[in-house]
Amino acid sequence: MSDTTKLVFGAVLGALYVVIGLFQIIGAVIGPLPGFDAFYLTGNLFSGFVLLVVGAVFIAGVRKLAAGAGEGAIFVSVGVLLSVAFGLVELLALCAMGVDAYLVGEWADWSAADSMNPLLYLAVIGAVGFLAWGRTFLRGLSAA
Amino acid sequence: MKREIRIALTGNPNVGKTTLFNALTGSRQHVGNWPGVTVEKKTGKASRNGFEFEVVDLPGTYSLTAYTADEVVARDFILEERPDIVVQVVDATNLERNLYLTTQLAELGVPVVIALNMADMAEAQGNPIDYRKLSAFLEIPVVRTVGTRGEGLKDLLDAAIREAETSLHHEHTIGYGNETETMIASLADALSADGDLAGRYPLRWLAVKLLEGDENVLAKVRGGPASTRVEEILSRIDPDEYEALMADKRYEAIAAVLPQVRKANLKEMRPSDMVDRVVTDRYLGIPIFLALMWGAFELTFTVATPFMTAIDAAFAWLAGFVAGSIEPAWLASLIGDGIIGGVGSVLIFLPNIFILFLILAILEDSGYLARAAFIMDRPLYALGLPGKSFVPMLIGFGCNVPAIMATRSIEGEKDRLLTILVNPFMSCSARLPVYILFAGVFFPEQAGSVVFFLYVLGIVVAITSAKLFRSTILPGEASPFVMEMPPYRIPTAMTALLHMWSRGSMYIRKAGTITLLGVLVVWFLASFPYGVEYGSAESFAGMIGHLLEPLVAPLGFDWKVAVALIFGFIAKEIVVGSLGTLYATGEETLPAALLADPGLSAATALALMVFVLLYTPCVAALGVIRKETGSWKWTGFSVAYGLVVAWILAFVVGHVAGLFMGGM
Repeated sequence: MSDTTKLVFGAVLGALYVVIGLFQIIGAVIGPLPGFDAFYLTGNLFSGFVLLVVGAVFIAGVRKLAAGAGEGAIFVSVGVLLSVAFGLVELLALCAMGVDAYLVGEWADWSAADSMNPLLYLAVIGAVGFLAWGRTFLRGLSAA
Repeated sequence: MKREIRIALTGNPNVGKTTLFNALTGSRQHVGNWPGVTVEKKTGKASRNGFEFEVVDLPGTYSLTAYTADEVVARDFILEERPDIVVQVVDATNLERNLYLTTQLAELGVPVVIALNMADMAEAQGNPIDYRKLSAFLEIPVVRTVGTRGEGLKDLLDAAIREAETSLHHEHTIGYGNETETMIASLADALSADGDLAGRYPLRWLAVKLLEGDENVLAKVRGGPASTRVEEILSRIDPDEYEALMADKRYEAIAAVLPQVRKANLKEMRPSDMVDRVVTDRYLGIPIFLALMWGAFELTFTVATPFMTAIDAAFAWLAGFVAGSIEPAWLASLIGDGIIGGVGSVLIFLPNIFILFLILAILEDSGYLARAAFIMDRPLYALGLPGKSFVPMLIGFGCNVPAIMATRSIEGEKDRLLTILVNPFMSCSARLPVYILFAGVFFPEQAGSVVFFLYVLGIVVAITSAKLFRSTILPGEASPFVMEMPPYRIPTAMTALLHMWSRGSMYIRKAGTITLLGVLVVWFLASFPYGVEYGSAESFAGMIGHLLEPLVAPLGFDWKVAVALIFGFIAKEIVVGSLGTLYATGEETLPAALLADPGLSAATALALMVFVLLYTPCVAALGVIRKETGSWKWTGFSVAYGLVVAWILAFVVGHVAGLFMGGM
């Protein structure tokens, strides 16, 4: 994948992470924002912070790529790894909550939507980047 | 009959020594302490071709100059215990630094075998090492190993057998230049007058160490027949100058060998270095570290939940069974309310403890924690803490006892004392059950974030206290920190699980010993004087609690919490165990009982968690503080300071939270 593609990909994902992260933090301070139910913005200060961090890594990479610095691609790649890693954290949490609901006999009342988090669905986009170039990057890293 | 070979495993820190030790010995390990010091001693067994090996894992050390307790332990073992073979684990990706220790081992004249570890990584970097050539240059057997995959272990043991079987070992000398060699010869000559020393140690090695100003060796010479002449020679020289000169010569010797055994570095940056640009970035490094820590606590809380539910159900069934089938009533109460209620309420958090340790093991084995130490160095140094203190502080997340012991690697006395005093604020795993219980009950939607907040608060209090101490009772400047970062590795499941088990199993042992004892005492106090209602205000526990209640009432705590906090002084898990015993209310679980208590609210729960995070270290940690500082004054200070800080912050947090949530 070319640096231009990484630049565009990083810019889009970075902007999404930053905007949704800000909404999460604002929601934590003043309460859930009306009209954003579809985005599962539960208003959580800490997950908002994590969203901002991942977004900042993407944005830093995009800025470097835009300035012609090749290492910007590394920032985008690490952003993708972080995106997928936090997505996995939320996926595991979601599964654990489902299993727990089953164990305590509340399976019928449980819905995955209740435990949905922006870190999870944004990681789906991150996973596209991971499949495109993240795996190669990770292999190179672990072999280094 | 099997012949026994004793192997000492030595090497620099972070070269995969422990991984190799685990791969060699598997589950046949024993962990203890080195005599007289608080440095962990690990031994294990291995077998090969009719030989039985005792493998001793020495502390990681960069040299044998004996500046730190780790170095003294490693050197004394090699010198005094005389193992059959010293296996030096060498990081193939960092040959120059590692071979420095090799030059010192070679000077000792002990039989050495080199395990050229992480050879696969060196090859992947385009820096393959010709280990046969290296062996020829050093005149020491060199075996290619990959500890994480168990490669080369048989070859390593075979090489050890060959070395143990041969009687041909000789000292390897490095030429230190005419002037130094003359001094070495003079000292060696003077030392030869001491027959006892000459019989135990190579004279040249003793002379070299004396020239380097090694106090440990000088102490061996003092009072002996060679003492006067040796001290007369040493009075004419500057040991610092010789130490630097000899270090240069050793590196010169290494530099001469290196180009002949490896290819030059690739000009391109390694992927590991590239990632380090991001994770150690001046602005992003710390936020990334905090974000990863949040992820760790989110997993610790959520993934453990179904396991906790299962354990809880098992204990509930057990308690019901005991209540219905055991006579007399007092015995049913002892077993049901005391043991099952108390120990059960502690053991329920076992999944959380194991998951947290597993995540920390994965982060450590991947090489990320070394980066975390690096990025935390700058803020720690600015706040007056030595950068080296980050490692003991990280260990403090597991248990403060080994963490305080680990401060021995910090050279400066004030730096070390400072690190010891602030270490108890790092939230150990024994406090985790309290957080999980109260965060789960009173903050069910954001429990992971609340636990994360508490860990961050512990770090903030630790470094703020360090800044305060540095500007008042322990003035001075922190020592700079130089560390090399190991390359990234994908952790193997076995290594991570072994790390998790070795740390987590301590929690199980405590549950079966000190926690059990603690909850039995609480049960006794809650059941007597004879005839009182169990856990009532008229019981001994109630009397003690009511006596202490005025001290904690401003924080919103009642007498039951006061009793639990008192027993938490023995071990922090007992806070939960005591509450489990005191709140034992038949079929009702502890979380349900806490939620039903009108005296407890979300704000009170937050204040209680903050208090448990910060108040006095447990008895074991205090014992280690006393031992390491050698002072009752500092031990007492640690207790008093912790209590004052805990009370003030719990009061502030509780009342501020009360403004938003009500209930204080």
